Amino acid sequence: MPNVQIGVLSCSGEEMLGGTLARMATRKVMEKLRIGRVVSLCLPLYIAGGEEERNFAKEFPVISVDGCDKSCAKIATLKYSGEVKDTVIISELLGKDVVLSKMVSARDLTDVHYKMVDIIAEEICKKVDAIVAE
Amino acid sequence: MNKAYAVLPCNGLDKCAGCISGEMAIQLSKQSKSEIICPVFYRVAEAKYSSVIEALPLLVIDGCGTRCASKLASEKGLKIAEKMNITEEAKTLGIDIGLSIPINEAGKALAMTLVNRILTADKPSESTLDDFIQMPSLIYQEYKKDKFLFRVPENKGFYFNENDVWVYVVGNKARLGVTDFVQQSLSDIMFFTPPSVGMEIEQFEEAGNIESGKAIFEIVSPVSGTIIKVNERLLDAPELINQNPYEQGWIAEIELSDFEEDQDLLHDFEGYFPVLKRKVDEFHV
Repeated sequence: MPNVQIGVLSCSGEEMLGGTLARMATRKVMEKLRIGRVVSLCLPLYIAGGEEERNFAKEFPVISVDGCDKSCAKIATLKYSGEVKDTVIISELLGKDVVLSKMVSARDLTDVHYKMVDIIAEEICKKVDAIVAE
Repeated sequence: MNKAYAVLPCNGLDKCAGCISGEMAIQLSKQSKSEIICPVFYRVAEAKYSSVIEALPLLVIDGCGTRCASKLASEKGLKIAEKMNITEEAKTLGIDIGLSIPINEAGKALAMTLVNRILTADKPSESTLDDFIQMPSLIYQEYKKDKFLFRVPENKGFYFNENDVWVYVVGNKARLGVTDFVQQSLSDIMFFTPPSVGMEIEQFEEAGNIESGKAIFEIVSPVSGTIIKVNERLLDAPELINQNPYEQGWIAEIELSDFEEDQDLLHDFEGYFPVLKRKVDEFHV
């Protein structure tokens, strides 16, 4: 799929750290690591009935990025657009304790948090590249 | 004494305004006894938040004109005690919140300013209505690019100029507005400066302007004539242009002075649709 665009639908949770990390990693992939290849889909808008987001997810492969195993992003994609091409669950990457820890203000983000973002972003990139290689 | 709220932020990901709404929610929960309602999880597990919603006044924070959080509150029949729109607040305060995530220093400062204001003060707002030309039921042709959808009405009577402004002509009167290309390119429209009623304009002269965080768009009139009405709803709700620029988001109505001549420099649907597609392919990001 050399020219395919890939949607990344990220958890938007702000009750726990996992949500914050998920959205930061997704944006990093879109803005820095796979520019032009990845389109971020806004989960709150998607769930609220955003037609553009839902139609995109029906037509193009979607990777869901969930903070925890509640898998809100994956479940929403399955419900409204039918298929999830691949998934990233951050609790499986970084451990449950990390993602379920208390949310962090943008003012309090540290290098440790940014390193976590890098790990997640790298994992998303792997999934993106695998889809492109199909 | 600090107030406490049940805070429903949009938490949008597409624009950093959504992230600022999330940041505000975190700050409010730190600085008061406010509780955060996750807009996504609320839909999945409504009961989890019922006690919070019952106990505390609801503060809804939208990032942009799409107003996902407000729509969610309305869908669930929630009583909104206070409302805030980050993009509008940033514009009013002259703060450039940028586009990237993590949010920039200005975005963090804006979040703090608004949080302080919420915890220490209050303020109100209102709106009006208007109508004139009867529009038909519109039939659209669509063109998609990535996740963006561009519609153009193909009904007879619609004409377009190369500046992406449409006009719908009925006899010697017409209604005009901008096309989907304009509203998608501008993104969230925050301000509308209408033309003056009674003003005479020539074809390709300015008939007001609209403004988003990205740019100001001068509405280039496709026709000449006298402005007889403006869509006053846009003064309070310019986001109607984003919602549908051909229907509720129309700009003004005009009494035509020489449509026969003006028409020579306009496209009908057949002529404009390829122009829009080319522009989308070449310019739209």
